[in-house]
Amino acid sequence: MSHHVSFNDLPQGGEKFEPAKGGKLIGALGLFGVLGLAASAFFFFKNTDTFAYSWLFAIFFTFTFCVGGVFWIMLHAASNSSWGVAIRRLWENLANMVVILGLLASPLLIPAVNKHLYEWMNHHREAAHHAAEHGGTVQEALHHMSLDNPHLHILHAKFGYLNISNHFIPPFSWQTRFVLYFLILGYIARVMRKKSLAQEQDGDIKHTISSRQFSCRWLLFFALTSTFAAVDWLMSLDYSWFSTMWGVYIFAGSAWSSMALTILLVTWLKSLGYLQKVVTQEHYHLMGKLLFAFTVFWAYIAFSQYFLIWYANITEETRFYLTRNTEGWRGVSIFIVVGHFIAPFLALLSQARKKKPYVMVFVCLWVIFMHLVDMYWNVIPERGPSLGIGWWVDGAWIQDVAALCAVVGTMGFLFLRGLSKYSLYPWRDPRLIESVNVIN
Amino acid sequence: MSTTLKRVHGYLAEFDNVQDLYHAAEHVRDAGYSRWDVHTPFPVHGMDTAMGNPRSILPKLVFCGGITGTTVAFILQTVTQTNFWGEKLGLKFVEDIVETYPTVVQAKPIDIWTLPAFFPVMFELTILFSAFTTLFGLLALMGLPRWNHPLFTSKRFAKFSDDGFFVCIEARDPKFSQDGTKALLEKAGGKNVELVEDEI
Repeated sequence: MSHHVSFNDLPQGGEKFEPAKGGKLIGALGLFGVLGLAASAFFFFKNTDTFAYSWLFAIFFTFTFCVGGVFWIMLHAASNSSWGVAIRRLWENLANMVVILGLLASPLLIPAVNKHLYEWMNHHREAAHHAAEHGGTVQEALHHMSLDNPHLHILHAKFGYLNISNHFIPPFSWQTRFVLYFLILGYIARVMRKKSLAQEQDGDIKHTISSRQFSCRWLLFFALTSTFAAVDWLMSLDYSWFSTMWGVYIFAGSAWSSMALTILLVTWLKSLGYLQKVVTQEHYHLMGKLLFAFTVFWAYIAFSQYFLIWYANITEETRFYLTRNTEGWRGVSIFIVVGHFIAPFLALLSQARKKKPYVMVFVCLWVIFMHLVDMYWNVIPERGPSLGIGWWVDGAWIQDVAALCAVVGTMGFLFLRGLSKYSLYPWRDPRLIESVNVIN
Repeated sequence: MSTTLKRVHGYLAEFDNVQDLYHAAEHVRDAGYSRWDVHTPFPVHGMDTAMGNPRSILPKLVFCGGITGTTVAFILQTVTQTNFWGEKLGLKFVEDIVETYPTVVQAKPIDIWTLPAFFPVMFELTILFSAFTTLFGLLALMGLPRWNHPLFTSKRFAKFSDDGFFVCIEARDPKFSQDGTKALLEKAGGKNVELVEDEI
């Protein structure tokens, strides 16, 4: 209370980010993006099969940050919180990146690409071919195929959800949903930012209230979107595998890593001279607490998933962990247990550490690195077995790096440039002062 | 004429609102008092800094409690159900003391790699021991439970759980003086400053 900041202490019109000030990072990201895109284009035509996995990994890794951005603005609005008003604009910008990501993700819709990723699509295409030749529906053809190949029984059983649009368009095919996920997330992000920007014109509390109502209604659709996106893009890499924890697992990682990104972003902007009076040590403490909470939540979900599958020992379910607990992946699995949970858990336990920006920067960089490892560990182990090459594809890691540079570089470049469009914080939000002076 | 012996507990001052109380706390802190406390009907954010309280040692105790819980669960389960201590670490005497009785279900191993099966108990004992340390550590640090408190002799003090904001400086404080402390509290904006006396 002794250093109470009032509305008049803050600049009129908020603070506008000048890209020239952060030129080094933005330039580096842009360079990585361009080089990555060039390399990706080369690999895309030369090694379509292995590179499809690289691209999926890079796209999904970036996608989780957008999902996290959408989640944090919605949660903040729905729970009627005021502490994060000072940081909210960053989440809004992060969430809106999902639209551009949709464009980068679109190659996954091409049959020549996704035939290498999703074996079930090939069976479906074969079934569609049979159905066209001999009459009958695709599902009947699948059933017929499963008489020779018992593995396909599960595809026949899952047909109501897991299907593709080839010669005809079922209303809810994998492809339709693919587009829908980006549309829903993009819509939520757009509406939330629109309300936030409208408030900048008149400073009316009604925008806060209407975004709260909007969030409460759309949180359900957000949850369904992130869950089924995870099911469609990652879980169906192995069509026989299923886990009811999967959606929550991906969501936990998304919220966790995007909070780490937010802390890094705030620290970066502060080091460039922005947000000096707006974001305080108390915000670091609050964000650190949420990061800690999601460290534990992720571990709880990840362990629940592993534990039930390991204990029940059912063939279809164990395949996922058998692949990842053998050969070289075993070391990665154990590393994830230590690096994704134990290390950040111990690092974030103390209040004093959560309040120190320079400590949090290291923790957050580690968090994002571990999230990267986690996503890699989820996608890439499917590559070798699916393509019949073995557990590890030699030299394919260069393609993974290329895809990662392309997607993260491009998205990061556009995101940071985009920060200059609006004020870095919602400067006329009636609760901004409450947020700036927050004490917890 | 009453012959009851009484002991001075300290000065109790009432404040109108949180702001006054907060600034009064800063005054008392800056005057260098150490044995004093603030009483409010609800938690006041930032009061710790206004009072100049050091960080409690409770979190450190809870951390030790939690670690103890994890260790106890790990040792109990691995000693009784795996060959980890006797064969892997070569501590044969453990096998002499405790009979190892592996629960083999679904072809799970009997060595240390059956560890995931023990996580739920390790997790729960961590929580249990932490919770116990929190509760009993807190009670011990606060000196609870106790039968009565001298402050309850003040009629006015009953408001502390409704709409009263109080500062009490105890007579045990080395800086306490009958006139000086009263003057300080009045200067800080305290109303109805009264000397609380406790029956012995």
